[in-house]
Amino acid sequence: MIIAIILLPLIAGLISLMVPDRLKGVKEGIALFSTIIGLIIAALLFKQNIMFTIPWLGFGIDLSFRLYHFSAFILLAIAGFGAAISLYSVAFMWGKEKLNQFYAYFLLTVAFANGAVLANNLILMLFFWEGLLLTLFGMIIIGKKEAFKTAIKAFVIVGITDLCLMLGIALTGSLADTFTMSMISLPTSGLGALAFVLLMIGAIAKAGSMPFHSWIPDAALDAPLPFMAIMPAAIEKLLGIYFLTRISLDLFRLNPGSKISLLLMTIGALTILLAVMMALIQKDYKRLLSYHAISQVGYMILGIGTMVPAGIVGGLFHMINNALYKSCLFLSGGSVEKQTGTTDLSKLGGLGKQMPITFICFIVAAVSISGVPPFNGFFSKEMIYDGALERGWIFYLAAVLGSFFTAASFLKLGHAAYFGKSETANKTKEASWAILLPMIVIAGLCVLFGVYNPLPLHALIQPVLGAKLEGRDFAGLPTNAIIVLITLVVLAAAVLNHWFGVRRTGKGIGAADHIHYAPGLSQTYDLAEKRYFDPYDIGMKIANWLAKLLNAVDKAIDWIYEKLTVGVTFAFTSAIRWSHSGNVSTYVVWSLAGAAVAIIMVLIR
Amino acid sequence: MTVLFAVLLPTIGAFILPLAGKVSKLLRNILALLLVSCSFILSLILIPSALSGHIESFRVAFPLGLDFVLAADPLAVFMALVSSFVGSIIVLYSFDYINHYENQNEYYAMVVLFLGSMMGLVYSQSLIYLYVFWEITAIASWRLIGFYRSPKDVLKADKSFLVTAFGALVMLIAFIAIFGMFGTFDLTVLKGHVLPGVLIGLILVGILSKSATLPFHTWLPDAGVAPSPVTALLHAAVLVKIGVFVFARLFLFTFNIGVFWHTAVPVIAAVSALVAAGAALIETDMKRIIAYSTVSQIGFIFLGLATGNPVGVAGGMLYILMHGIAKGGLFLTAGIVEQNTHNKDITKMGGLISTMPLTAVSFLFCAFSVMGIPPFGGFFSKFMVISGAVDAGQIAISITFIIGAFMTILYLFRMFNLVFLGEARGKLAAEGSKLMVFCVVLLAIMSLGSGILISYPADFVRIMVSQVGGIR
Repeated sequence: MIIAIILLPLIAGLISLMVPDRLKGVKEGIALFSTIIGLIIAALLFKQNIMFTIPWLGFGIDLSFRLYHFSAFILLAIAGFGAAISLYSVAFMWGKEKLNQFYAYFLLTVAFANGAVLANNLILMLFFWEGLLLTLFGMIIIGKKEAFKTAIKAFVIVGITDLCLMLGIALTGSLADTFTMSMISLPTSGLGALAFVLLMIGAIAKAGSMPFHSWIPDAALDAPLPFMAIMPAAIEKLLGIYFLTRISLDLFRLNPGSKISLLLMTIGALTILLAVMMALIQKDYKRLLSYHAISQVGYMILGIGTMVPAGIVGGLFHMINNALYKSCLFLSGGSVEKQTGTTDLSKLGGLGKQMPITFICFIVAAVSISGVPPFNGFFSKEMIYDGALERGWIFYLAAVLGSFFTAASFLKLGHAAYFGKSETANKTKEASWAILLPMIVIAGLCVLFGVYNPLPLHALIQPVLGAKLEGRDFAGLPTNAIIVLITLVVLAAAVLNHWFGVRRTGKGIGAADHIHYAPGLSQTYDLAEKRYFDPYDIGMKIANWLAKLLNAVDKAIDWIYEKLTVGVTFAFTSAIRWSHSGNVSTYVVWSLAGAAVAIIMVLIR
Repeated sequence: MTVLFAVLLPTIGAFILPLAGKVSKLLRNILALLLVSCSFILSLILIPSALSGHIESFRVAFPLGLDFVLAADPLAVFMALVSSFVGSIIVLYSFDYINHYENQNEYYAMVVLFLGSMMGLVYSQSLIYLYVFWEITAIASWRLIGFYRSPKDVLKADKSFLVTAFGALVMLIAFIAIFGMFGTFDLTVLKGHVLPGVLIGLILVGILSKSATLPFHTWLPDAGVAPSPVTALLHAAVLVKIGVFVFARLFLFTFNIGVFWHTAVPVIAAVSALVAAGAALIETDMKRIIAYSTVSQIGFIFLGLATGNPVGVAGGMLYILMHGIAKGGLFLTAGIVEQNTHNKDITKMGGLISTMPLTAVSFLFCAFSVMGIPPFGGFFSKFMVISGAVDAGQIAISITFIIGAFMTILYLFRMFNLVFLGEARGKLAAEGSKLMVFCVVLLAIMSLGSGILISYPADFVRIMVSQVGGIR
């Protein structure tokens, strides 16, 4: 069964790669069938414990799999999103080009992700994990004609972090003397800290955290939309946070208050704030969402980084919540794109009446991400606040500020797209059922996971922590009333801020202009939009500089061969040539001098 | 006797090829392919005996310690399989590549002689015959690099010959000194002895110059003036692997070397890997980029072998295989591009994926393998090399190599991007001939297959590594 859940999408993907474009509907059928079967298998596997090993390469590299509550949970989530988004893709991608590649990469992504989650050997995990690079690259490159630049950017960024992960795994294996994950428990001191940080880089980069994020907003514009809903919004987050949790709780013995915990919380807080500030000023539906896809990771990393039960449970709960509402949001964006042909907010407006179901799904997801009670995002955020406050008010402040801007930017987005007026609004119709159904199901889950949160918390998340939970139960209403009150005040402030912004400019899209063009911020935003802060571009500059230096070393060595050796040889031979003047008397003098030296040497001995 | 035929068939058969060429071109071509693939098949036949421990050998006694000894141990068979397999594909590719140039008879004779002496080198169990075959490969590659015969080509050929021959002569001094110390050239007798550091250093000069490692590497990019199949043969599959092979043969399977060298060699390799990767990011000549990439990747092989622990050595060995296949594929795709666009400058290309899709995808596959992306074969070798280095406690060196691996991704993508993607800045040439495309597609599929079926080569290598004497 375990192997089947990896092989099924793998084989289905390879088959759909070979199906010619003429046969319409076959690839879609294969994708739908295999993802639905995958969902059934994942559901059957849930609550089971299976562990087995098949020899592979030797040297500690085995095909070792382990199914237990955590991997079964992630597996189920991946299968759920896989099925929902393949149904969505059938309608969304219908009639487009390179569909065989799209479905192949899509199914391979699911296969590799399942493999990475089930692997109990670090190298096997790396095998699947890094294999996702290929499908990532493939999925982006089939988007637009110019998408290859983004694809290469994504590949390079994720590639270097995967190399860090590779080194981290080698180091972990060397320290623990095994690559079997269930047998590793290392302290985070000395080399252990280095190993942890390297693994962490791999994990948070997969999740899309800063500073490894900058390909995501570019991909939002270039890649096919279902890619955004499945990869950066769902599967990559699930995988990244899954692995971060594994290394923080199982593979390494991490303490609250340790430097690494502090590092994680700092990365989390910075990611929340910087990304949400960028999201606030975006004027494109998908690009705005993509910055939120980055910002929300910050909450999860912050939550897990606190290393206290409330924070970890909150972080994990937020992981699954975010996957739900974020993919729902991307799907709503796709629905709008499909019906109107654009995602440019300045051209959109008034869609609420024409596309009521899309609009309602958007509202549910938007209030969830903004943390409005009683939706799911509210509960997970409260737990993260709780954990963050336990570790330091500054982290809490960052998280709350992030929530303010999140709410503000979704008010702006919703206002600009669904209210107001636009030229196209009256002609637009609601999307087809295949596009709506996945959105409705996911939005429904957002409500369910909020209103009845014991379901996800008891069944999915709290068992992951086991003894580390310290017997606490976070289901039900938040316990800290003051935090809830502050949250409500912040949300109210966001609404007020929106009202102010709209009154100032008269348009929904201008709701954040007073922040965008505030003195000081305006210039910073300009630089950021011109990519002065893009870590990728900065890194490329450094790499280029380094390459020039190394190239100079190389050319200097070549100079020794091309010029120095040749020069010395010619100097030497011309000196010798000079002595061969052809003058017999000179030769006689040389010979006599040589003989004299020889005789003297003999005499001295 | 099988082992003798594996060596002698191509070495002697090479001299018949010019005669065959007088009769018919096709006959000559097929004969050349047969001779090389014979070595491959004979080496395949040698696998069971090599793995079972009953190593097949051949010995003719000569005076003065000049015994001619061949033996098919796992290391030799592995190396022979890799080089004769990639060599066969390159000969097949040459059919269409070389058929409109002059001196074809000499070309095939030299290629087959080169591969034959490579067989001799890997199966030799005597230092002196190892040296002899080593120098035959140098002469053959000298003729092949200067194949186009323009003054510039000849100059570059001379450069490669002088550098490698210089290294070989330095190495010969060490071989003679070994004979002076132990009274024999026979490696089976020399097994387990400890070598003085000076001799190790002298041999290393030879090894590094042949494997184009810093500071003896610059002849390799310059040798890119040769026809593409030749560069594939020399830079990717065979010639540069001689150095790493002899390193394994002498310093892992025969002599014991001190702890000092287990650190010194990785340091040299790390510098070499980084400097070459940097140069590959700056160069604009397609073949020079791939050549620098080879220099860089050879560093990884040296790192793996020099760690001296089973994982690292096995990784280094697998690296030889994976790199041979993938880099061979890269050179051959570059050959197709070069032949059809009449251009080697990547800044004057672009958009070729629309006209030569198979070549482009093959390039990408081989590039993924070189980068070490699973499920391609290069992933396993790269990981095992790094893992071996970390196990040996060389954390700083491992980090350097990770930077090198990162730059590998950069320069290969830069090249793919400029050659195949984006706007066409030059001629949009058509796809290569069917035979040539078949060869590169085969190598691309092999790059992928070697990763998916990794357990077969890994089993082989595991048995080989278990026999390594010098491992700590």
